[in-house]
Amino acid sequence: MDGTAFLARVEDYHKGGWRLALINVTTVLPVAAAHGAASAPAAGAAQAAGSAQAARAAPASATAAPAAGASQAAAEASPAPATTPGDAPAATETPGLFEMAWAFARDCEFETIREQIAAGDTVPSISEFFGAAFLYENEIRELFGINVEGIGVDLKGQLYQTATKVPFSHAAIKARLAAVAAAAVKPS
Amino acid sequence: MRRTTIPFGPQHPVLPEPLVLDLILEDEKVIDAIPTIGYIHRGLEMMVERVEYTEMGFVVERICGICSFMHGMGYCVSLESIMNVEVPERAGWLRLIWAEISRIQSHLLWLGLGADAFGFENLFMHCWRMREQILDIFEKTTGGRIIHSVNRIGGVKRDISDSELAAILVQLQELGEAFKTTARVFGTDPSIAHRLGGVGVLSMEDARAVDAVGPMARASGIATDTRLIGANFYDRIELEPVTETAGDCLARVVVRLREIDQSIDIVRQAIEKMPKGEGLPLENKPRGNPNGEVFTRLEQPRGEVLYYVKANGTKNLERFRARTPTFANIPAMIKLVKGCDLADVPNIILTIDPCISCTER
Repeated sequence: MDGTAFLARVEDYHKGGWRLALINVTTVLPVAAAHGAASAPAAGAAQAAGSAQAARAAPASATAAPAAGASQAAAEASPAPATTPGDAPAATETPGLFEMAWAFARDCEFETIREQIAAGDTVPSISEFFGAAFLYENEIRELFGINVEGIGVDLKGQLYQTATKVPFSHAAIKARLAAVAAAAVKPS
Repeated sequence: MRRTTIPFGPQHPVLPEPLVLDLILEDEKVIDAIPTIGYIHRGLEMMVERVEYTEMGFVVERICGICSFMHGMGYCVSLESIMNVEVPERAGWLRLIWAEISRIQSHLLWLGLGADAFGFENLFMHCWRMREQILDIFEKTTGGRIIHSVNRIGGVKRDISDSELAAILVQLQELGEAFKTTARVFGTDPSIAHRLGGVGVLSMEDARAVDAVGPMARASGIATDTRLIGANFYDRIELEPVTETAGDCLARVVVRLREIDQSIDIVRQAIEKMPKGEGLPLENKPRGNPNGEVFTRLEQPRGEVLYYVKANGTKNLERFRARTPTFANIPAMIKLVKGCDLADVPNIILTIDPCISCTER
């Protein structure tokens, strides 16, 4: 996508008094793939999960050719990985194609900007014009794995996940108390 | 000055649902708040890939227990517009009536929770006693108190007889009269004015800058109301957005107090204007599978809700997305929390009427 032209359009909405209503991500399937998914949706999803795991395991050893081949076959039989957004970064054998929509509202009017994004693409943040975009953008980065660059309030992947895995476990509390004790001896 | 970080939540007396705000304090002043959600992320949006579109409406209702009717309605309206199904007139009016009754229910629930948060337990009980009567109306007309499941794609499942509608209207108007006593306490009690007045002020410019929706924006003087679009028979209703100008916590309470009266009046108008009679058609069943996409906007009790539905001609939808009003209001909440006293944080968080289940889906 053309980042500069896109940001110029967003700026026009900002100047026009529009309100950011939604940033949405949809997976886009090639036509043939959409028919494949149509024939066996439930089984396809199950296979997709399996093949995504195979793809993750494959880079671990260079001799995993049979496994990689199997996952390729599974992907060809059912190109559903693109419909499982959670696995998008891992589904390397079928590069995900997304459509992002930035929706703006002004009273009763409603307009969207739409762009097609490949899985590895970087999307510019619109935080400088619409401050509330940070929540959508953090969520998109965490749940879809799309790189959004320059988010106003960058939550560093911790909107849906806590910084420590179990924040109130004994170990976590001990570590925090130790950190507080270590900080206390220094003059502040 | 040394900074302290206080985790607000996931369990906190004022929060019925889990939300974490890491409050970074200097002395008693909050200087930053970092939100973490995800404690009740259920992946309901992804269920469209496994659940057929005819059944998905019931899943969508379970996004949230307070605005469940309007979630179901929003889903059905989206599918109807994709499949070009026209809703029978009486069914459309019935939806509008249920939607407004659920707005009264939601506001009464929130006013009770708010009263509890600022330490007025008696008021909390009065609000919830009245909410109980609304839930009885729901139970009588839909069969369910919280999850109603009366919406179908193309109409509604159950009718309310004309005599029953008249009785409901009388009951609502009596409730509205009785509520005036309670509303007067909210409006005039000095301890409430002291606790909420001037706390968490969101100016009109700030409300625009953080894209606030619903009562949050209306309390700051922005006359925004998605019902004014006129879809779903709202074009035949006389409706003036309830606005206040102060933008503080008290103004947000007053907006919701006044919206209860407004909703009772809308129900009255609807009952007057809807077609009368027994056995009128309630449902136009859709044929085939949906193909296409749509954005739908509705005004929920907490503000504007947005649904995006994309269908690909199969029985499973390709994408369903709900952007709920709380999600849109969280940036406003974070803006308000910055710079306030630690003791005011619970009230500020509550006055956006947070619904975390909606936010995380």
